[in-house]
Amino acid sequence: MPKIDFKGITKSFGPTTVIRRFNASVEDGEFLVLLGPSGCGKSTLLRMIAGLTDISGGELLFDGALANDWTPKQRGVAFVFQSYALYPHMTVRANIAFPLVMDRFRKWHHIPFVNMVQRWKVMRQPEVADAVERIAEQLELTPLLDRRPASLSGGQRQRVALGRSLVRDPSLYLLDEPLSNLDAKLRTQMRSEITTLHQKVKRTFVYVTHDQVEAMTMATRIVVMNQGYIQQIGTPDEIYDTPANTFVARFVGAPPMNLLPVKVAGQTLHAEGDSHWQHDGGAPKGATSAIFGIRPEKLRLTAPGAGRLPARVAVIERLGAETVLGCRLGAEAADVSGISTEDLVFVRTPGHPGFAHGEACGLDYDAGDVVWFDKSSGQNVAATPVVSTPEPAFEG
Amino acid sequence: MSTPTISRQRLTALVPYAFVAVPLAYLGVFMFWPLLRQMWMSLTDTRLMNPTKGDFIGLENYRHLLADPQFYTSLHVTVVYTLLTVIFGVGLGTISALAINRPFPGRTIVRAVLLFGWAVPNVAATLIWLWIYNGPSGVANELTEWLGLGRVQWLTSIDMALPSIMIVTVWQVAPFVMLVMLAALQSVPDEVREAARVDGADALNVFRNVTLPYILPTMQLVSLLVAVWSIRRFEIIYLLTGGGPIGSTSTLVVQIRLTAFEDYDLGLASAYGAVGLVLALLVALVHFIFERRRARVMSK
Repeated sequence: MPKIDFKGITKSFGPTTVIRRFNASVEDGEFLVLLGPSGCGKSTLLRMIAGLTDISGGELLFDGALANDWTPKQRGVAFVFQSYALYPHMTVRANIAFPLVMDRFRKWHHIPFVNMVQRWKVMRQPEVADAVERIAEQLELTPLLDRRPASLSGGQRQRVALGRSLVRDPSLYLLDEPLSNLDAKLRTQMRSEITTLHQKVKRTFVYVTHDQVEAMTMATRIVVMNQGYIQQIGTPDEIYDTPANTFVARFVGAPPMNLLPVKVAGQTLHAEGDSHWQHDGGAPKGATSAIFGIRPEKLRLTAPGAGRLPARVAVIERLGAETVLGCRLGAEAADVSGISTEDLVFVRTPGHPGFAHGEACGLDYDAGDVVWFDKSSGQNVAATPVVSTPEPAFEG
Repeated sequence: MSTPTISRQRLTALVPYAFVAVPLAYLGVFMFWPLLRQMWMSLTDTRLMNPTKGDFIGLENYRHLLADPQFYTSLHVTVVYTLLTVIFGVGLGTISALAINRPFPGRTIVRAVLLFGWAVPNVAATLIWLWIYNGPSGVANELTEWLGLGRVQWLTSIDMALPSIMIVTVWQVAPFVMLVMLAALQSVPDEVREAARVDGADALNVFRNVTLPYILPTMQLVSLLVAVWSIRRFEIIYLLTGGGPIGSTSTLVVQIRLTAFEDYDLGLASAYGAVGLVLALLVALVHFIFERRRARVMSK
């Protein structure tokens, strides 16, 4: 299995640079997810690994060998496309067998009649026929082997695309948003099927998605990208618990991490407006202003006046097992009639918390769950215990 | 109150028929009626000098046709001309489309130049080619002499007249085919081509296994069009050779003109026309059989 190294990979389309100095490594057998919003360059990067898009600068190494100019065939990778990219005129059997037929293809098979006969013969070779049958059985496609893609459902087509990539047993699987055309239920099902498949085949998977749920549930490591730059590389837990910057904090998690610009005055934090509360925990060293970040599930709903932050419930989303509440800070003055959710603090709580829309409530948290970001750069900054108590920067 | 509602409903129901009636009237007046008249005329002894006074003679014209060696010559010329025009016209057009489908500097200019043949009116194009084929001063003979092949009797030799006409036809037809095939090529999804490349296919295999199956229905349709146009083509052949020498380029359509306006026999000319129609319908039938078969296979 190849180890893939990206050394200063750059991709430009004319004057537009979509990937800038990308440095990373993909280890043997890992499930690496490239996560980012549309247009961040993640699919372009995947296509560069496959050899479908030229590399403008930098080095792509397969097991230490420079692979920038290798053809897709030389790289020996499998690619699953977002649109499945099945051959519509071929049966499921012929689609799955196609990579094996091409492996056995010789130059002289291009002679028209010979070509037809050879393909027919290759399809009937025991090792090809058996491989197709085995893959079809593994993916529950056996009853569909003689049908054409047009008569299959989205999930079945996706399985055929997976089957076509599996049949050659490549060392590297590249998957470009393969679940984005499926409905929610099927997506969940296929998600676990792909995860199981990865554990079963024990090969390297590089998976592109803009869906953070897919990334969190499937990845062994995630590369978060934005505007052609790597924002953070880490395990799903690292990405979720200690986001490298405010972009990652807001991109990963639904609802995203609450980010509040605050003035730090000793143990008191002052948010914009009239909200201020006793923090009683660490804060960025020497900073008088910072961004206070906390995950919605780390906030606790309390009775009015009981928590650190007084608030009022503006939005309630019941999800069955849990409820997400959008609260506006400030007990009395908080206006809950507006439809904007920009300034809401989201709380995720199990079951039904028993608060009604417009009702006053309190929010509490453990100081250790707070993630701090630099106000100007948005980068994660470590918290240190606050020892001095300077004057508040502004009054509420 | 219910009467106006019902009449309005009836009027609404009639609207689609009104829309259909317009093209139906057009087709009826300009297509079906002349066609029926021609069919009827082929069963009469109508003469050009007395076009409204033909008597019904049953299948006499067809019996005459089948006994006439010139009919078989015309049929043979028409079939050969149609077949080769389709093969070379569609082949050259498709190759040109494949060549200019890729981006390269000056592609727009090359595309415009390649379309020239199609854009030029038939008569003008034929006159250009008459000059090219001209015996003593034509460019074609200049070229053959330069190549050491000597002078060729392009339009006056029995062996060369039909190929010469076919060259002009292909020159005119190929740009149209190229335009249609280019549109078909641009509808081939890039991802499927890329999937084939990842699966290990070389350029020829990508074409054979991905591009060709995608463009085949269009290729088939354009072949049908070129075939029907070839069966119906008159001006190029008539202006270049007039059907000669010794009937070697006399297709059914040229024979119709000869029979109707030189032999004055409108009945027999109509019978020639009927055979041409049957030939065109046969070509269309083959196309529809292929289409139905493909639809059946693809839906499995």
